[in-house]
Amino acid sequence: MKVQILGTGCAKCQKLEENTKAAVQALGLPAAVEKVTDIDQIMNMGVMFTPALAVDGVVKSSGKVLSKEQVTELLKGAK
Amino acid sequence: MADCCCNGKQTANLIYACSGAANTGLLADQVARKLAREGTGKMTCLAAVGAGLSGFLESARAASANLVVDGCPVSCGKKIFENQGLPFRHFVMTEYGAEKGKTPITEELIGSVSGALKAQQSCGC
Repeated sequence: MKVQILGTGCAKCQKLEENTKAAVQALGLPAAVEKVTDIDQIMNMGVMFTPALAVDGVVKSSGKVLSKEQVTELLKGAK
Repeated sequence: MADCCCNGKQTANLIYACSGAANTGLLADQVARKLAREGTGKMTCLAAVGAGLSGFLESARAASANLVVDGCPVSCGKKIFENQGLPFRHFVMTEYGAEKGKTPITEELIGSVSGALKAQQSCGC
């Protein structure tokens, strides 16, 4: 499973990354959390509002700082 | 361009145009672009929403308003948003004095229609 955090590096993007890493760890998933900061790549994924979260190339959330619990639920559904 | 959540100036409206083949599609496209240039929102791709591309769908869900500008009453943009279950506000160019296949699309018309849409958008009617 590939988990991507899309954002240019603001505090909210960092918070989403932190929450996502905590969720991945809590679930014990063999997932790599990758940070995407390149604006062209973000735009190519159709994301107009950051931070965004993508799982295996599918954008699951845009413009929100999901909590650890929200990311956990989302990742459970994507497993 | 994607707005970063921390830039303090996030525009939450997204604008979509049918950009269809007829003169009214051209008007929809030009009006949408003018609205975007003037700061009403950010223009993004209606076709991508129709294709169900996840980033565009999630961005539409995150927008405070999705402004769908259709050229004619066939309302392809409206149907796309309905099919995807997304909220939107709808504008049809033939309701603003453009006749499909006949009315020349001039700068004056683009200006007057975009002004009318902007006025409607700002008062929430």
